[in-house]
Amino acid sequence: MRDVETYDLLIVGGGPAGLAAAVEARGAGLSVGLVDERPTFGGQIYKQFGIGFRVRNARALGRDYTRGRALIEAAERSGATLLPLTSAVAIRDDAVVLVADGEHARAVTARRIVIAPGAHDRPVAFPGWTLPGVLTAGAAQTIVKTQRVLPGKRIVFAGSGPLALAFPAQLREYGANVVLALEAGPRPSGRDVARIVRAARGNLELLRDAVAYRARLLRAGVPMRYARIVVRAEGDGQVRRVVHAAVDRAWRQVPGTEETTDADTLCIGYGFTPSVELLRLAGCDFTDAEDLGGPVVLLDEWQRTTVPGVSAAGDGTGVAGASAAVDGGRLAALGAALDLGAIEPHTARARAAPVRRRLRHKEAFRVALRPLHAVGPGIYELADPSTVVCRCEEVTVDQLAVAIDASADVSVVKGLTRAGMGLCQGRSCQRQIAALIARRHGLPLASVAPATPRLPVRPVPIGAIADASLEDGGFFTP
Amino acid sequence: MIAAAELRAAPPRATDVLIVGGGLAGCALAYYLACEGVEVTLVERGELNREASGTNAGSFHFQIALHQLTAFETDNVRDRLLTEVRLHAEAAAVWATLENELGAPLDVHVTGGLMVAETPEQFRLLHDKQEIERVAGLETHVLGPAELREFAPYLADDLTGATYCPDEGHANPLLAAPLFAQRASERGAAVRTHAGVTAVERDDAGWFSVTTQAGTIRARRIVNAAGAWANDVAALSGLRFPIRAEGLHVNVTEPRPRLLEPMIQHIGRRLSLKQSANNTFIIGGGWPAHPEQPPKRFSTSWESTAGNTAIAVRVVPALAGVRVVRTWTGVMAFTDDLSPVVGESALQPGYHTCIATTGFTLSPLMARLLAEHMSSGTRLPAGFSPDRAAVQPQPTT
Repeated sequence: MRDVETYDLLIVGGGPAGLAAAVEARGAGLSVGLVDERPTFGGQIYKQFGIGFRVRNARALGRDYTRGRALIEAAERSGATLLPLTSAVAIRDDAVVLVADGEHARAVTARRIVIAPGAHDRPVAFPGWTLPGVLTAGAAQTIVKTQRVLPGKRIVFAGSGPLALAFPAQLREYGANVVLALEAGPRPSGRDVARIVRAARGNLELLRDAVAYRARLLRAGVPMRYARIVVRAEGDGQVRRVVHAAVDRAWRQVPGTEETTDADTLCIGYGFTPSVELLRLAGCDFTDAEDLGGPVVLLDEWQRTTVPGVSAAGDGTGVAGASAAVDGGRLAALGAALDLGAIEPHTARARAAPVRRRLRHKEAFRVALRPLHAVGPGIYELADPSTVVCRCEEVTVDQLAVAIDASADVSVVKGLTRAGMGLCQGRSCQRQIAALIARRHGLPLASVAPATPRLPVRPVPIGAIADASLEDGGFFTP
Repeated sequence: MIAAAELRAAPPRATDVLIVGGGLAGCALAYYLACEGVEVTLVERGELNREASGTNAGSFHFQIALHQLTAFETDNVRDRLLTEVRLHAEAAAVWATLENELGAPLDVHVTGGLMVAETPEQFRLLHDKQEIERVAGLETHVLGPAELREFAPYLADDLTGATYCPDEGHANPLLAAPLFAQRASERGAAVRTHAGVTAVERDDAGWFSVTTQAGTIRARRIVNAAGAWANDVAALSGLRFPIRAEGLHVNVTEPRPRLLEPMIQHIGRRLSLKQSANNTFIIGGGWPAHPEQPPKRFSTSWESTAGNTAIAVRVVPALAGVRVVRTWTGVMAFTDDLSPVVGESALQPGYHTCIATTGFTLSPLMARLLAEHMSSGTRLPAGFSPDRAAVQPQPTT
């Protein structure tokens, strides 16, 4: 806490949004610190190899890799201070507490802060979801991308959204044996395709990708089935069978449509949810949009949140993908440069114009796709009474039900059951519990307020936190 | 637990006793009054147990603490301390039998408690404190440095000594008040949430007419058990009590293999540390939280986490590698003279209070004493009158 460092702009999160923001802000002459908790920058989509890997043929690794590489190299060249292996664990006013290597906490101050935390897989609880062999798409992607390890021998993918096509196709590219891919949304109709093509202006690349992924799955003979979700995973100590069923538009199961597929691995990818812990701790205001992942921070035209000095960008502000994140990051940096007087308003507007145009096109495309992937409430209704919802504290649906009968308040339910008090700090169970509360009390999911935000947003060793220079401040002295 | 349907139902139109505040004091009082056959209604403005009663660290503080030792030498302070330590000994007896009484687990663990000293002066203070505890009838033992190292090898080996109280321990603050409320409800008490009090009037017959967000209730007697907000509620009746609100910050770690049995406090610095029933370490001791405007809760403070854990790791060095997972805050009632404010106001007969500074430790006992007083006219311990704010000049804070 004593070695205070300061930046014009501190960026938390070194994925597409954070990297782009760093480059743009350096271009405007701001001093920039860029923080990421992982050993390498790039975030999830532009994820780089683990330490110790060497790339011989970058082009063979595909567009996400090469784009990520280029952006990372631009950030390295930009003169921004890059701080890998560093977690942002607390924020208040203009100060962010950083923990480097899990060993030493320090407060860093900045005139402007951009929070670009990315997203994590939308957690879905169904019977068997805690069995070894069940993993999220993000986790599978991480081990495949950073370590070149396949998650299993017979893989079922179940999910929804653009990723439901992309991910099994990518896994297939790595040589994985994907035996079945399930998309919860409906099979696109002629009218859906026409609507999507109309929205394709400025998004041809995404459209081409989708076609290529579909072709790749067809070529590989991977059955792709629409309007089906996984309803449970079975096996003794390991996934052996995946049971899936047809669903209606609300993703509720159609009786009598269950089928079983033998598998040792089940990848779950029902979209992503923004990682908003730091934004909530900062005190930002939110709205809620399930198709953007749930909680969505309120932003103005320069990506400023409702907290002075704090902006946000990327999938952490609503899940829209890597290229939208890059543009959001640029806007946030331009806004910060404008606020700090580093660029003229007309320059900021001119530089923002093409960025905004691209973002409008992407938004139109996302809206066109939405009817196909709109998350149905049925996804939160799969758990049976004995299903564990909070894995850290091992709290089941029926234990939660007793508390939820007594109160519709997430914090009360948390207090009575310990659900959400464990190491994951509620990331895995909070939305599921909110959905249980909403259903029991007949409330819209969006109206169930999350638990009070508390520091630290990542677990931190006492040895890193403790600061003996902060002596007793006389709390008890009258 | 009481179902939401009951908690949110319309309150009774009339009741003998109306309790304002659904924390541990209010819920316990509702239970003890219901056990005595008194008609009782409890109203809470939010949810049960969400403030100090559910956000404190759950410790039983029976030994005289650092903050109580201010102005230690004067006679009236010595008398006050004697009174309080006697209460602590009684509270120990209440907690020891509470799970039996209420018929459900509250994670009560009588682990014993150490109060450590770092300097020779602090060690001398422990001796003086132990003498008062002995006179008051609370069992404590002074341990010298060598004894302490043998008794608690996980402590830093340069501490100068400690006192040990075998009756200290902890319970789960998340369970105690809700269980009292449930048992009260089963015995006929009406418990209502989302029923904040907005106005209090008195009719010609001397009954209180209390307007709440859930409806108007006529009551023969009122008990203000609103904790840190007691003076907001009292102001509706033109009263003021010697109580202020302080925000408190608590830290909790990931679970680790069993290391500590007793609770650990410090005679000279702000520390309370224990390993909970689920093996997490809970670290508090009176570090401040950032005040916020309602409805926001007081926010957590990095400085409090850093300062508080520094003392914890100074006393138990093995904590260095243990990760803090969460912190939280609570707003506690802090009485100006550190004594409980429990009893009936002579200024407004029928108006009662049930509030204490170390509320988690004392509330079940205070509630029981007040319930006995209200149902059978037994005498309350002297010096707790809510009117003392009106007759004594109060220090400005």
